[in-house]
Amino acid sequence: MLGSLPLAAAAMDVTVPREGDLSVTVYRAPDRQEGQLSLDDLGGFALVTETRTVNVPQGDNRIRFEGVADGIEAESALITGLPGAVIEKNRDQAVLTPEALIKATFGKSVMIARTNPKTGKVKRIPAKIRTDTRGRVLVETSEGIEAVHCSGLPESISFITHPDLSSTPTLSARVRSPAATTAKVTLSYLTRGFDWTASYTATLAADQKTMNLGAWVTLGNSNGTGFSSARTQIVAGRVNHETDEVEPFYIPAVLAQCWPTGTTTSDLRRIEEIVVTGQRRDAMQFSVVAPAAEAPAAPAELVKLEQLGDLKLYRVPERTTLNSRQIKQVRLLDRQNIPVELYYAADLVGNTTIASTAARKTIRTRNDTAHHLGLPLPSGQVSSFITGNGATLLLDEVPLRDTAVDEEIELTVGSSPDVQIESVKEKTNVYTRPPFLEGVVRFKSALIDEINRIEIQNATPAEIKLELRLQLPDGTHVIAADAATSTSGGRTLFKLPVPANRTATVRYQTEHISMRPEVRK
Amino acid sequence: MKAKTPLWMGSAVSALAVLPAAAADHDVSVTIYANDTALIQDHRSINVTGGRQRLEFQNVSAQIRPETVALAAEGISILEQNFDFDLLTPAKMMEKAVGQEVTLVRTTPGTGAETREKALVLATNEGVVLKIGERIEILRDDGLPVRVIFDKVPDNLRAKPTLSVMINSPKGGTRPATLSYLTPGLGWKADYVALYNEADSKLDVQGWVTLTNSSGTTYDDAKTMLVAASPGTPVETNTWTPRPPRPRMAEVQPGTETGSRERVGDFYLYPIAERTTIANLQTKQVSFLDVHGVPAEHAYEYRNPWLGTAEKPQSAQSVYRFTTSAKAGLGDQLPAGTLRFYMHDKRGEPQFIGESQIDHTPMGSLLSLSTGDAFDVKVHATVVKRTALGDFSWRTEMRYNLTNALPKPVTVSLLQDGLWGDSSITAESQKSKRRSADVAEWTVQIPANGKAEVTATFTTRF
Repeated sequence: MLGSLPLAAAAMDVTVPREGDLSVTVYRAPDRQEGQLSLDDLGGFALVTETRTVNVPQGDNRIRFEGVADGIEAESALITGLPGAVIEKNRDQAVLTPEALIKATFGKSVMIARTNPKTGKVKRIPAKIRTDTRGRVLVETSEGIEAVHCSGLPESISFITHPDLSSTPTLSARVRSPAATTAKVTLSYLTRGFDWTASYTATLAADQKTMNLGAWVTLGNSNGTGFSSARTQIVAGRVNHETDEVEPFYIPAVLAQCWPTGTTTSDLRRIEEIVVTGQRRDAMQFSVVAPAAEAPAAPAELVKLEQLGDLKLYRVPERTTLNSRQIKQVRLLDRQNIPVELYYAADLVGNTTIASTAARKTIRTRNDTAHHLGLPLPSGQVSSFITGNGATLLLDEVPLRDTAVDEEIELTVGSSPDVQIESVKEKTNVYTRPPFLEGVVRFKSALIDEINRIEIQNATPAEIKLELRLQLPDGTHVIAADAATSTSGGRTLFKLPVPANRTATVRYQTEHISMRPEVRK
Repeated sequence: MKAKTPLWMGSAVSALAVLPAAAADHDVSVTIYANDTALIQDHRSINVTGGRQRLEFQNVSAQIRPETVALAAEGISILEQNFDFDLLTPAKMMEKAVGQEVTLVRTTPGTGAETREKALVLATNEGVVLKIGERIEILRDDGLPVRVIFDKVPDNLRAKPTLSVMINSPKGGTRPATLSYLTPGLGWKADYVALYNEADSKLDVQGWVTLTNSSGTTYDDAKTMLVAASPGTPVETNTWTPRPPRPRMAEVQPGTETGSRERVGDFYLYPIAERTTIANLQTKQVSFLDVHGVPAEHAYEYRNPWLGTAEKPQSAQSVYRFTTSAKAGLGDQLPAGTLRFYMHDKRGEPQFIGESQIDHTPMGSLLSLSTGDAFDVKVHATVVKRTALGDFSWRTEMRYNLTNALPKPVTVSLLQDGLWGDSSITAESQKSKRRSADVAEWTVQIPANGKAEVTATFTTRF
């Protein structure tokens, strides 16, 4: 509709609609915890690259690119391929809204249309807008000054002049071209309102010795703009990117405020607020549901991986459409019969008595070809399932971090009430040592050792592997233990087998030096 | 639409003709600083009548700081300056009409017939109380439609925030005047696009100045100048809040070269060559730098905090290093902003690979900018053992396991942070150097698809 109206401003505006080749590369939110994705709060972003054909007239012109994403980060926009000199590029956030229309029409002529309640006949009176203060509209007619929407009559404002506003956020470039020409222009920009995550399903075989791993790429577009038939890429890895400097895209509603309208019967409301119109985005909650456990019946075509600097780029095999406010899934990987090692794990705070707690059931494998993997695993959520007796059970949902080839993968697959762990602090020995310093302040130092017992009850009908990790305070270390010790992540680790339906006991002794300043009397 | 309503268009033209023509001799220059402050200098000719006179300036910034306004013209003296926010609204109109007559137009619901009568506005507290002849009525007490028509807009109500200056001039006549003031809402920063070519380790860098206007006003055809400086603005002390430190993404060794750009004092100026219209709510970009084939180095860096011990291996940072020197570098000083890195994918399309913030950087500096995590290069730092040796003396044994899943060898700068005071490294598996007073650096080679290990023992106070 607007395109058919005469352009009020620069006569040499060239509007370029969206067409041609489109490419969207989606990046995940740099600081999002693995897992969650909500369409209302997509913290990631995308790089949109598109080509458009522009007929550039000779001389100084403004080329307007319509239909860019509403979350565009204008300062990242790149326009290549324009002939002549690009003098400047602009992004106008002043889009066509009721309020912007009134503001733009300030001092200009409009028509006030009033409908006769009896006959339904519309009477149009020429008027001039006398105020552009937010939403409080006063007009001047031949009769005098009147407020719109205050009389109680059905009234509306018809605008005659076309303000220099576009229906969507628009990127434009001022170009000076020596001659009229047709140019193929590439436009690229970063835009907010995108995100993606990997959604894995790990299905453990009944014997718990192998698993199948499948994954979907779940990507979302919360922009008001859709991207149809786009080449789509996904980039894995954390990239530095700040989007908080972009002002939120805000379209205010028009509030018509009249004079005090209290009557003898009213609640003495001071201001009647009439919402002429407004745009509100309904809060829609989309959370990504764990996909079904089984591998897809018809094998889906997988995304294609390539290296991009220090990142991983996945190409969606076919052009796809990323609609406005849509969540979409494409297949990332499908791997079968991955050998896994099952063990039970518990993290304990050292030198403390702790009541019985259930151990975590954990599976461990390595991301290499020997384990039927050996491909980068981007961060996401893993839903683990177990199959057996014709049933499939959900075990757990845990996050997975970015995992490179040849890294170890550990996944918690629920806790096991059949394996209980209890710690008991048995004894503390204190040996006082001579003070280190003589003077006003001296330090009383003591060598302290502590003896602890860990009891493990195994109610399962099989021998289990158990890994206990001990969290000790700074400067405290284990000096003796009756189980094999090693370290993991800076903590002492006990690895031991526990026979079926038996109890096992681990004793360990720690040592540290305690120093307390003491003021001499 | 045009064809359907010729009458409308005709009336529009006649109404427009009533409006005063825009001042043709209006000349605005805008100087924008990097900290959301701008100096507006508005040159226009004023018509002075002689004697006391009130001058009104519309289209000044809606966020004008009135205390910074200065009007300069020959042979005038300023009596007072006002910035009026008493804006024209329906409620204000009614309030100002107290004691005056308005016209009421009633529409009979059954017939649609209009009846008119004059009314005197008595009060507008909570409701509008009117005196019609000898009756006292409340406006729209019955809920029926009543239009209220006012004769005119009171003089002191403004459609827009308006600056007015009361002047005294001994003699009349038209003369040039300059109105200058400071306003927030206009700001600028630099945006860089750096395309990294992996094959020959070269960077192509384009620089854009990005200007934003949220001041509420459009500056038409303005002469624009950008200043790479953030002059102190008077801020009320109680509104000051400390900003949390940003994660350090950029490391800079400051340079000592002087650029060729225009300077005033210690500040570099970036004039925009052509006059431009800075529209409200607009982001405008103008190119200022375009350099090709700058040698750059791609490296990896991992900084471990003191006593940092990780559950799982952590990604190293992917770092790009280049200089802003005239020789083998960008050859320019860089105003503060964001540097976005791109790289060609296998199909030859540029893809974004991360960004880094930079401060105002002198020419000749060495920049080391991180773009994000390296997916395939990881470091697992572990505190192996901590022993208290005595009062304020600790021995810390550290182990760093480095892995590389890339099919090519890489070099990682492994940094151990937090070596304050009289700390020392008593043993290490390879020689380190002190990158700065409290940071030890090991340069570790990791073979393709391989591993490396570094161990070190520190003696520290804590």
